[in-house]
Amino acid sequence: MSGTLHLRVPNRIEELPGVSEAVEALGSEEGWAQDVTYAIVLGLEEVATNVVRHGGGEPGSSEIEIEVSSSDDEVRIEVRDSGRAFDPFHEAPEPDLDAAVQDREIGGLGVHFVKVLMDETSYGREGGRNHVTMVKRRS
Amino acid sequence: MNVQVEHHDKVLVARVEGRVDSSNSQDFERQLQGAIGEDVNAVVIDLGQLAYISSAGLRVVLLVAKTLGQRNVSISLCALSDPVQSVFEISGFNRIIQIYDTQADALAAAG
Repeated sequence: MSGTLHLRVPNRIEELPGVSEAVEALGSEEGWAQDVTYAIVLGLEEVATNVVRHGGGEPGSSEIEIEVSSSDDEVRIEVRDSGRAFDPFHEAPEPDLDAAVQDREIGGLGVHFVKVLMDETSYGREGGRNHVTMVKRRS
Repeated sequence: MNVQVEHHDKVLVARVEGRVDSSNSQDFERQLQGAIGEDVNAVVIDLGQLAYISSAGLRVVLLVAKTLGQRNVSISLCALSDPVQSVFEISGFNRIIQIYDTQADALAAAG
Protein backbone atom coordinates (compact mmCIF):
# COMPACT_ATOMS: atom_id res chain seq x y z
CA MET A 1 0.00 0.00 0.00
CA SER A 2 1.12 3.54 -0.57
CA GLY A 3 -1.15 6.48 0.00
CA THR A 4 -0.57 10.20 0.07
CA LEU A 5 -2.41 13.07 1.65
CA HIS A 6 -1.85 16.61 0.48
CA LEU A 7 -3.48 19.47 2.34
CA ARG A 8 -3.26 23.24 2.37
CA VAL A 9 -4.86 24.88 5.38
CA PRO A 10 -4.96 28.49 6.62
CA ASN A 11 -2.66 29.17 9.61
CA ARG A 12 -5.44 28.89 12.18
CA ILE A 13 -5.61 26.55 15.20
CA GLU A 14 -9.25 25.71 14.37
CA GLU A 15 -8.08 24.07 11.12
CA LEU A 16 -5.94 21.50 12.90
CA PRO A 17 -8.62 19.02 14.10
CA GLY A 18 -9.62 18.58 10.44
CA VAL A 19 -5.99 17.80 9.60
CA SER A 20 -5.88 15.19 12.39
CA GLU A 21 -9.07 13.56 11.07
CA ALA A 22 -7.69 13.39 7.54
CA VAL A 23 -4.42 11.86 8.78
CA GLU A 24 -6.30 9.29 10.87
CA ALA A 25 -8.40 8.36 7.83
CA LEU A 26 -5.19 7.79 5.82
CA GLY A 27 -3.75 5.72 8.68
CA SER A 28 -6.87 3.60 8.77
CA GLU A 29 -6.73 2.96 4.99
CA GLU A 30 -3.03 2.15 5.20
CA GLY A 31 -3.32 -0.04 8.28
CA TRP A 32 -0.98 1.91 10.58
CA ALA A 33 -0.59 0.55 14.11
CA GLN A 34 -2.33 2.57 16.84
CA ASP A 35 0.92 3.95 18.28
CA VAL A 36 2.15 4.94 14.81
CA THR A 37 -1.07 6.83 14.11
CA TYR A 38 -0.91 8.57 17.50
CA ALA A 39 2.72 9.62 16.94
CA ILE A 40 1.99 11.02 13.48
CA VAL A 41 -1.16 12.91 14.48
CA LEU A 42 0.64 14.30 17.52
CA GLY A 43 3.82 15.24 15.65
CA LEU A 44 1.84 17.04 12.99
CA GLU A 45 -0.34 18.88 15.52
CA GLU A 46 2.71 20.02 17.49
CA VAL A 47 4.59 21.30 14.44
CA ALA A 48 1.51 22.98 12.91
CA THR A 49 0.55 24.56 16.26
CA ASN A 50 4.07 26.00 16.51
CA VAL A 51 3.73 27.45 13.01
CA VAL A 52 0.42 29.13 13.89
CA ARG A 53 1.56 30.42 17.29
CA HIS A 54 5.14 31.43 16.50
CA GLY A 55 5.26 31.89 12.73
CA GLY A 56 4.16 35.51 12.93
CA GLY A 57 1.36 36.93 10.80
CA GLU A 58 -2.32 37.10 11.60
CA PRO A 59 -4.25 33.81 11.84
CA GLY A 60 -5.65 33.00 8.40
CA SER A 61 -3.14 35.26 6.60
CA SER A 62 -1.03 32.44 5.16
CA GLU A 63 -1.15 28.74 4.40
CA ILE A 64 0.42 25.65 5.87
CA GLU A 65 1.13 22.95 3.32
CA ILE A 66 1.08 19.41 4.63
CA GLU A 67 2.05 16.23 2.83
CA VAL A 68 1.85 12.78 4.38
CA SER A 69 3.08 9.80 2.36
CA SER A 70 2.72 6.27 3.60
CA SER A 71 4.67 3.28 2.33
CA ASP A 72 5.00 -0.24 3.68
CA ASP A 73 8.02 0.72 5.78
CA GLU A 74 7.54 4.30 6.87
CA VAL A 75 5.40 7.42 6.91
CA ARG A 76 6.94 10.68 5.77
CA ILE A 77 5.39 13.95 6.94
CA GLU A 78 6.35 17.28 5.39
CA VAL A 79 5.19 20.66 6.62
CA ARG A 80 5.92 23.88 4.76
CA ASP A 81 4.97 27.39 5.79
CA SER A 82 5.92 30.94 4.90
CA GLY A 83 6.24 32.19 8.48
CA ARG A 84 9.44 33.62 9.93
CA ALA A 85 12.48 31.33 9.80
CA PHE A 86 12.35 29.02 12.81
CA ASP A 87 14.09 25.68 13.31
CA PRO A 88 11.99 23.98 16.00
CA PHE A 89 14.52 21.20 16.53
CA HIS A 90 17.34 23.53 17.51
CA GLU A 91 15.72 26.79 18.61
CA ALA A 92 12.86 25.55 20.82
CA PRO A 93 13.68 25.38 24.55
CA GLU A 94 14.38 21.95 26.06
CA PRO A 95 11.94 21.06 28.84
CA ASP A 96 13.43 20.13 32.22
CA LEU A 97 11.92 16.66 32.65
CA ASP A 98 13.23 16.28 36.20
CA ALA A 99 11.79 19.46 37.72
CA ALA A 100 9.20 19.19 40.52
CA VAL A 101 5.58 20.18 39.83
CA GLN A 102 5.89 23.74 41.15
CA ASP A 103 9.16 24.34 39.27
CA ARG A 104 8.22 22.70 36.02
CA GLU A 105 7.99 25.24 33.20
CA ILE A 106 4.87 25.28 31.07
CA GLY A 107 5.73 24.60 27.46
CA GLY A 108 8.59 23.27 25.35
CA LEU A 109 6.97 19.84 25.33
CA GLY A 110 5.61 19.74 21.79
CA VAL A 111 8.99 19.68 20.06
CA HIS A 112 10.26 17.21 22.66
CA PHE A 113 7.42 14.82 21.71
CA VAL A 114 8.33 15.12 18.04
CA LYS A 115 12.01 14.40 18.71
CA VAL A 116 11.22 11.35 20.85
CA LEU A 117 8.39 9.86 18.77
CA MET A 118 9.80 10.36 15.28
CA ASP A 119 12.65 8.31 13.81
CA GLU A 120 14.01 11.19 11.74
CA THR A 121 13.46 14.93 11.82
CA SER A 122 14.95 17.69 9.74
CA TYR A 123 14.49 21.38 9.09
CA GLY A 124 15.37 23.55 6.12
CA ARG A 125 14.61 27.03 4.86
CA GLU A 126 13.80 26.93 1.15
CA GLY A 127 12.57 29.76 -1.04
CA GLY A 128 11.46 31.83 1.93
CA ARG A 129 9.58 28.92 3.48
CA ASN A 130 10.20 26.69 6.49
CA HIS A 131 10.28 23.01 5.63
CA VAL A 132 9.99 20.47 8.43
CA THR A 133 10.31 16.77 7.60
CA MET A 134 9.43 13.97 10.01
CA VAL A 135 9.76 10.25 9.33
CA LYS A 136 8.05 7.55 11.39
CA ARG A 137 8.97 3.94 10.72
CA ARG A 138 6.04 1.55 10.87
CA SER A 139 7.82 -1.16 12.86
CA MET B 1 -14.00 16.76 24.71
CA ASN B 2 -16.05 16.73 27.85
CA VAL B 3 -15.30 16.72 31.58
CA GLN B 4 -17.76 14.87 33.89
CA VAL B 5 -17.51 15.46 37.61
CA GLU B 6 -18.40 13.10 40.47
CA HIS B 7 -17.89 13.53 44.21
CA HIS B 8 -16.78 10.64 46.39
CA ASP B 9 -16.88 12.21 49.87
CA LYS B 10 -14.05 14.77 49.81
CA VAL B 11 -12.50 13.34 46.67
CA LEU B 12 -13.47 14.85 43.35
CA VAL B 13 -13.29 12.65 40.28
CA ALA B 14 -13.10 14.42 36.92
CA ARG B 15 -13.64 12.08 33.95
CA VAL B 16 -12.23 13.43 30.71
CA GLU B 17 -13.72 12.11 27.48
CA GLY B 18 -12.69 12.56 23.86
CA ARG B 19 -9.71 14.47 22.51
CA VAL B 20 -7.72 17.34 23.96
CA ASP B 21 -5.61 19.26 21.45
CA SER B 22 -4.47 22.82 20.77
CA SER B 23 -7.92 23.74 19.42
CA ASN B 24 -9.84 22.95 22.61
CA SER B 25 -7.24 23.08 25.41
CA GLN B 26 -8.56 26.45 26.67
CA ASP B 27 -12.02 24.94 26.99
CA PHE B 28 -10.44 21.94 28.75
CA GLU B 29 -8.72 24.31 31.17
CA ARG B 30 -11.98 26.16 31.90
CA GLN B 31 -13.90 22.93 32.47
CA LEU B 32 -11.22 21.40 34.67
CA GLN B 33 -10.53 24.54 36.74
CA GLY B 34 -14.31 25.01 37.08
CA ALA B 35 -14.73 21.44 38.30
CA ILE B 36 -12.17 21.76 41.06
CA GLY B 37 -14.30 23.09 43.90
CA GLU B 38 -12.78 24.63 46.98
CA ASP B 39 -13.95 22.00 49.41
CA VAL B 40 -12.06 18.90 48.34
CA ASN B 41 -9.13 17.00 49.82
CA ALA B 42 -8.08 15.26 46.65
CA VAL B 43 -8.68 15.29 42.91
CA VAL B 44 -8.58 12.20 40.71
CA ILE B 45 -8.54 12.81 36.96
CA ASP B 46 -9.87 9.72 35.19
CA LEU B 47 -8.46 9.56 31.66
CA GLY B 48 -10.03 6.19 30.75
CA GLN B 49 -12.16 7.76 27.99
CA LEU B 50 -9.47 10.14 26.75
CA ALA B 51 -8.59 9.12 23.19
CA TYR B 52 -5.88 11.70 22.51
CA ILE B 53 -3.93 14.45 24.25
CA SER B 54 -1.15 16.67 22.93
CA SER B 55 1.25 19.06 24.69
CA ALA B 56 -1.51 21.70 24.83
CA GLY B 57 -3.56 19.38 27.06
CA LEU B 58 -0.57 18.34 29.17
CA ARG B 59 0.08 22.01 29.82
CA VAL B 60 -3.42 22.24 31.36
CA VAL B 61 -2.84 19.15 33.52
CA LEU B 62 0.39 20.74 34.78
CA LEU B 63 -1.35 24.06 35.49
CA VAL B 64 -4.07 22.26 37.46
CA ALA B 65 -1.46 20.24 39.38
CA LYS B 66 0.33 23.50 40.29
CA THR B 67 -2.92 25.16 41.41
CA LEU B 68 -3.86 22.16 43.57
CA GLY B 69 -0.34 21.85 44.96
CA GLN B 70 -0.52 25.43 46.21
CA ARG B 71 -3.78 24.52 48.01
CA ASN B 72 -2.29 21.29 49.42
CA VAL B 73 -4.85 19.25 47.51
CA SER B 74 -3.49 15.98 46.17
CA ILE B 75 -3.91 15.12 42.50
CA SER B 76 -3.66 11.82 40.71
CA LEU B 77 -4.47 10.41 37.28
CA CYS B 78 -5.91 7.02 36.43
CA ALA B 79 -6.92 4.56 33.70
CA LEU B 80 -4.64 5.91 30.96
CA SER B 81 -4.70 4.08 27.63
CA ASP B 82 -1.31 2.89 26.36
CA PRO B 83 -0.71 5.79 23.92
CA VAL B 84 -1.81 8.39 26.49
CA GLN B 85 0.42 6.73 29.10
CA SER B 86 3.36 7.00 26.64
CA VAL B 87 2.81 10.72 26.22
CA PHE B 88 2.81 11.22 30.00
CA GLU B 89 6.01 9.18 30.27
CA ILE B 90 7.79 11.08 27.49
CA SER B 91 6.83 14.37 29.16
CA GLY B 92 8.21 13.17 32.49
CA PHE B 93 4.85 13.97 34.11
CA ASN B 94 4.59 10.40 35.39
CA ARG B 95 7.45 11.28 37.73
CA ILE B 96 5.72 14.34 39.21
CA ILE B 97 2.05 13.27 39.20
CA GLN B 98 0.86 9.96 40.67
CA ILE B 99 -0.72 7.65 38.06
CA TYR B 100 -2.90 4.64 38.97
CA ASP B 101 -4.12 1.79 36.76
CA THR B 102 -7.75 2.09 37.84
CA GLN B 103 -10.07 4.68 39.37
CA ALA B 104 -10.61 2.31 42.32
CA ASP B 105 -6.85 2.30 43.02
CA ALA B 106 -6.72 6.09 42.79
CA LEU B 107 -9.71 6.50 45.12
CA ALA B 108 -8.26 4.04 47.64
CA ALA B 109 -5.02 6.03 47.73
CA ALA B 110 -6.81 9.40 47.87
CA GLY B 111 -9.37 8.42 50.52
